[in-house]
Amino acid sequence: MRQTRFTQGALGLLLAGLLLAGLLAAVALPGHAQQAYYAGKTIEILIPFGPGGGTDIEARFLAPFFEKHIAGNPKIIIRNMPGGGSILGANWYAQNAKPDGLQMLATSGSTVIPFILGVSRVAYEFSKWKLVKVNGVGGVVYVSPRTGITKPEDLLKPATPLVYGGIGATALDLTTLLLFEVLGMDVRSVLGFEGRGPARLAFERGETNIDYQTTPAYLTQVIPLVKEGKAVPIMSMGFINERGVMVRDPASPDLPTAYEVYQILHKRKPDGLLRWKAYQTLVSAGFSYQKAFWVPTGTPPEALTALNESIDRMNRDVQFKVQSKQILEGYTILRGDQTEAAVLRSMRVTLDVKKFITDLLQQKYNVRL
Amino acid sequence: MTEALSAAVALFLDPGRLLMMLLGVGVGLVVGILPGMGGIVTVAILLPFITRLDPFASLAMITGALAVVHTSDTITSVLIGAPGSAASVPTVLEGYPMARQGQAARALSAAYLSSLIGGLIGALGLTLSIPIARPLVLSFGSPELFMLTALGVSFAGSLLGKEPRKGLTAGLLGLLLGAVGPSPAAAEVRFAFNQVYLTDGLDLAIVALGAFGVTEVVGLLAQGGAVAQRTDLGRGWAQGLRDVIQHRWLVLRGSLIGMWAGVLPALGATAGTLMAYGHVVTSSRDRSRFGKGDIRGIIAPEAANNAVEAGDLVPTLLFSVPGSAPTAMILGALLAYGIVPGPRIVTEHLDLIYTIVWSFAAANFIGAAFMFAASPLLARLTYVSFNRLAPGIILAMVLAAFQEKQHYGDLLTLLALGILGYVMKASGWPRAPLLIGFVLAGPLERYYWLTINLYLHPADWLIRPGVIVIGLLLIAPFVAGAIKAIRYPTAPEVSPAERPPRRVAPFSLFLLGVFAYAWWTARTFLPGAELMPLSVAIGGTLLCAVQIVQEMRGRGGPIAAEGGTEEEAPSGEVVRRAAGYLAGLAGYIVSVWLVGIRLASGLWVLGFLLLVARQRWPAALLYAAAAVAGLELLSGILGVRLPRGELLTLLR
Repeated sequence: MRQTRFTQGALGLLLAGLLLAGLLAAVALPGHAQQAYYAGKTIEILIPFGPGGGTDIEARFLAPFFEKHIAGNPKIIIRNMPGGGSILGANWYAQNAKPDGLQMLATSGSTVIPFILGVSRVAYEFSKWKLVKVNGVGGVVYVSPRTGITKPEDLLKPATPLVYGGIGATALDLTTLLLFEVLGMDVRSVLGFEGRGPARLAFERGETNIDYQTTPAYLTQVIPLVKEGKAVPIMSMGFINERGVMVRDPASPDLPTAYEVYQILHKRKPDGLLRWKAYQTLVSAGFSYQKAFWVPTGTPPEALTALNESIDRMNRDVQFKVQSKQILEGYTILRGDQTEAAVLRSMRVTLDVKKFITDLLQQKYNVRL
Repeated sequence: MTEALSAAVALFLDPGRLLMMLLGVGVGLVVGILPGMGGIVTVAILLPFITRLDPFASLAMITGALAVVHTSDTITSVLIGAPGSAASVPTVLEGYPMARQGQAARALSAAYLSSLIGGLIGALGLTLSIPIARPLVLSFGSPELFMLTALGVSFAGSLLGKEPRKGLTAGLLGLLLGAVGPSPAAAEVRFAFNQVYLTDGLDLAIVALGAFGVTEVVGLLAQGGAVAQRTDLGRGWAQGLRDVIQHRWLVLRGSLIGMWAGVLPALGATAGTLMAYGHVVTSSRDRSRFGKGDIRGIIAPEAANNAVEAGDLVPTLLFSVPGSAPTAMILGALLAYGIVPGPRIVTEHLDLIYTIVWSFAAANFIGAAFMFAASPLLARLTYVSFNRLAPGIILAMVLAAFQEKQHYGDLLTLLALGILGYVMKASGWPRAPLLIGFVLAGPLERYYWLTINLYLHPADWLIRPGVIVIGLLLIAPFVAGAIKAIRYPTAPEVSPAERPPRRVAPFSLFLLGVFAYAWWTARTFLPGAELMPLSVAIGGTLLCAVQIVQEMRGRGGPIAAEGGTEEEAPSGEVVRRAAGYLAGLAGYIVSVWLVGIRLASGLWVLGFLLLVARQRWPAALLYAAAAVAGLELLSGILGVRLPRGELLTLLR
C-alpha cells in the first residue's frame, strides 16, 4: 500500500510538472491573463534562529505550501541568521530588507518580548512591517501528585514547596514566572535549563514538581504521564482572541484558564490589575500570536494580496490540513491583513506595565535590561 | 517487537525508499567531506524533499545521510588536517600526522572500519534499548549529568601533553571561550563587548575550523611541499584493518562512550568523540605516540562519532527532546507526517523506528564501502603540492564558517582562532584541551548550577549512587597515576642542550593578559553568572604567572607536545612564513568586507596561485573561476546570501 502511495507521489509530481508546464505555456502566451506578481520569482524567508528550532521547522514545513498557494508559484528558500536570541537577524532585516515582497522575516515570541521590554539592542519596529501570517500556541501548567495539588484551589497551599524548572527570566519563561506572581503562588524557580524539553525531563525525574509545556507538547508528552498518575494538569495559560480577550485554549478546552483560576483563588476578576495586564500582554506576544511572517511596509499591494490569499488557499488545502496538524499544533494559521491590527495592539504596552515587568525582573530575578 | 522488526525490513527494502536512502548517503558523504560542515548542513539540504515523500522514504533518506557524515569527514581530517566536522578533531590530531608520514591509507582504512563498527553497534544499541531507554535516561539526573561533564573535562587532563601546566591552561582558555555569551545561571551576557554577534557565544564549528583547520593549512603552507612527506604508502590498507581487529575492545568502548554521549541530551557529538579520545589516551600505558599519529587515537573517536548519531535518536524519539540540531530537524520532519515522538511512539510507530534503525545500519555499510573504494584516489591528494590545494580548501573553510550566522563576525572568529591555534601549535601548547574545555563549558556550568539549585543540601546529591560511581571513575586515573609515581619514581631527565633559553614567551604574557582581563571583568557579573568565568580566570591567571616565572628561570619546558614527529618545533623561518600566510588570510578577510566575498575570493585565489603557487595565468584564471563558481553553487544550495562589499555599497 505504501508502495502505491509512493508511486502516487511520483505520479502526482509528474502531473504537477505537466500542470506547471501548461501554466507556464499559458503565461507565456501573449494577450493571456495578466502575469502574477510572483511568477518566476523567489521569496526568501529569513529565520533569525538556527536550524532545528521551532520557528525554523515551521517555516521549512510551510515553504512548499507557500510555493503551491501563492499566485505565480514562486520558489521559496529558507535562510537562517541566528544570533542574540533572534535580535541579530531581525535587526539585519530592519536595515536591509527591500519592500519588494521577496524577503519575509519569521519572528517568534523571543523576537517580540525584547521589543516590548525595550531592550536597547533592539533596532527593529514591528509597525514598520506588514503582517503576512500569524499563528499561536497555548500552554498548560501541571504539577506532580506529590504536591498534593489536584485542583486550582490547592495551588496556594501545596503539600511540599513548589519548584519550577525554567530557561531564563528574559526568555519566554517570563510569562510563567509572571503567572505565578499574578496568582500569588509561592514557587521557587530554578532557571538555567536549555529548553522546555530538558525541563520536562527534570520534572519526570522528580527534580521539579511544577512545570508547563506548550499545549501540543502537553498533549503528546504529558498526557501519557497523567494517565500513569505521574502528573496532574491544573490550568491553561489562556488564549487571547482577536478582540484581546482571554478565552479557553482551543487545544485544551477542558482546562480552566489563568483568568478563571484567578477568580477561583481570589474571588474576583483580575481585570484592571497592573500585573494582570502584564501577564495578558506576554501571553498574547509569547503564545497566542507567537509565530509570524512579515514584509516591509511599502511592499506592492499585489504582492500583499497574493501572500494573504495564499493563507486562505492553504487553509482549504486538504493535504495541508492533514500534515499541519502536528506542526501548527492544532491552531489556525491566520491571514496577516485581518489580524495585523490585533497583533500590533497586543505589542503596545503602557509605560506602567513595562515598568512593572522590568521592576519585577530586576527585584526578583536580578535582571538588568 | 519481532513482528515490527520484520515489518520494518519489508518497508525498508522497498526500492523507492532504498533509492532515497542512497540519495541521502550521497549527500551525507559529500557534505561530510567539506571542511567544517556536518549533520546540520546535510539535513538542511535534504529537508525540502521531505514533504514530497512518504515518511518511510524521507526518514530513510535523512537517517542515511546523518549516518555517514562522520564516515566521510575523516577524509578531510586525515588528508588536509582541517576537521571535516567539529566531531572529527581527534582524527585531525592523530590521522593527519599519519598522513604526513605517508600512512594516510592505514589511517583511513582504520577509521572507516571503526566508523562502520561504531555505527552498527549504535544501531544495535538503539534497537535493544528502545524498550528500556526511558527509565535509563530518566535515571540520569542533573547531578549525574554534571558529574559526566566533569569526567569529560578530566579526560582533557590526559591530553595535556608533556607539560601539564600548558595543557591545563589551554583547557581553562577553552572554558573561558565557552563562557562567552549568555550565562545559564542568570540573565547576563558575558564577554560580548557590546557586540550583538557575540551574545549567543562562539560557534563550535568555527572554533574547530579555526584552531585546527586554518592552523594546519597555514602550517603546511609555511613548510612547503605536499602533505605526505614520505611516499611509502602502499600496503597501509590492510594494516589499518588489522589495527582495528587488534584493538577491537577499543572500538567497542569508543562506540559505547559515543552511544551514551548521544543518549544523554546534555553532551552531544563533539563531546562524545572527545571523551572517547580522552578515554583511549587515559587508559593507554604507552602514551608517547599520541598527538604524533597513534592509530588508537583514530579508532576510538571514529567509532564514537558514528555511534553518537544512533544514540542521539533515543532522546529524540522517546522524549521528543533532540540532542542536536540535526535530530531536531528530524523531529520536525516526523511532526510534518503527524508522527509525534514521545512515550507513545514505541506502541504506535515501532515499524518506523526500526526503519530508521535499518537505514542507519545499511547506510553505515554503504558509506564505509564507498569511502574504501574512493579513498586510494583521494589519498593521492596528499602527494599533490599543497600550494595548489590550499586556495580551494581555504575558500571552503571560509564558506563553512560564514554559513553559521552569515555575519562578518564569523570570518573574524575564524581568523582569530586560526592565529591563536597556530601560535599555540608553534609554541608547544596543546590544542585538544582547548576544544574539550570549549565544548563542555556550557553543560558543565549549566548542570552544576542546576544541581546546586535543585538539591539545596549538598548531601542530597553527593551521595546519589550514580554520582559516586562517576566520581570514582573521575579520580581513578589520578590515583593510579599517583601510585605509579610513588612506586616507580623517575627523575626528570632534561639534558642541558634541550634546556630552552631564559626568555619569556610573548604568548604567555598574552594569555596572562587575557585571564587577568577576564578576572577583572567577571567580578562584576551577576551572582551565578560569575561563578564559572571567575574561577576559570583566577586559575588561568595563576597558572600563567607560574609559567612566566618558570620561563624567566629558563624552565619553560620542552617545545612541541603535539604535531607530528618530523616537525617537533617549526624553525624561525617557517614561523615567519606562516605569519606571512596568516597576514595574507587576514588581508583576504578584510577584502571580503570591502569588496564582497565573490570578488575578494576570486582575486585572492588568483593572486595566491600566481604569486605563491607560481602557476601560469591560464591555469590560475581557470582555477579562480572554478573556485568562485563552486562558492556560488554551494552557497545557493546552503541558502547562504553572499554579502556585498561595504565599499561597493558606499559607491552605489
